[in-house]
Amino acid sequence: MVQLFLSLALLLTLSGCVQEVKPWEKETLSKETMEPSGGNALARKFEEHIYFSKEASKGGGGVAGGGCGCN
Amino acid sequence: MKKVLLLALLFLQLSAYEVGETLSNEMVTQLGLSEHSKLYVVDFFASWCGSCQKELPLIATLDHKVDHSEVEIIGIDVDKDPAKGLAFQKELQQEHHLTFRIINDAESQIIGTFNPIGMPTLYVIKDQKVIKIITGATDHIDEKILIVVKEQK
Repeated sequence: MVQLFLSLALLLTLSGCVQEVKPWEKETLSKETMEPSGGNALARKFEEHIYFSKEASKGGGGVAGGGCGCN
Repeated sequence: MKKVLLLALLFLQLSAYEVGETLSNEMVTQLGLSEHSKLYVVDFFASWCGSCQKELPLIATLDHKVDHSEVEIIGIDVDKDPAKGLAFQKELQQEHHLTFRIINDAESQIIGTFNPIGMPTLYVIKDQKVIKIITGATDHIDEKILIVVKEQK
């Protein structure tokens, strides 16, 4: 029982370090500059070309999930 | 004991309005949902949200089609920067003839209470109760709202 309380206390303490970003707080995250290429279409295309040349595969570079559904 | 603790933890995480839940009197007053027989469509949006930009013109058109004695649409602009929000609203009013009431929630008080899982989120409320929640980019949102309106008649 003591162990259970200690684990729960530890869990609660750990969760205090994480601040969840709510869907309505994702304005900055939705900006183009937050993309890996910094919103530069040419840089993105170049990166994709390198990836395709090296891996013989493309796609999968997008961000999935998050539940925002903004963009 | 274990179960009680786990349930308590679960409820700590889930403090949001879900379908079937009744809105607090404070929230009803804040949103101005005074008429119990009326169907209220509360739409949370922001200027930076791409899906909201697609969805709002459809909702604006829907607002011109519905009988305002039965249905009222209320927009909640959650932009942190009120100037940005107001400029976006002005654009919507000019380009898409958006005429429904908009409440500015720059401090996230309203949306923080509703606590939706995504943006945009639309709540259909009747008699202070949440009867439908539509979250995220939804095609033909106007038709989907109309279906709910017809179901509630």
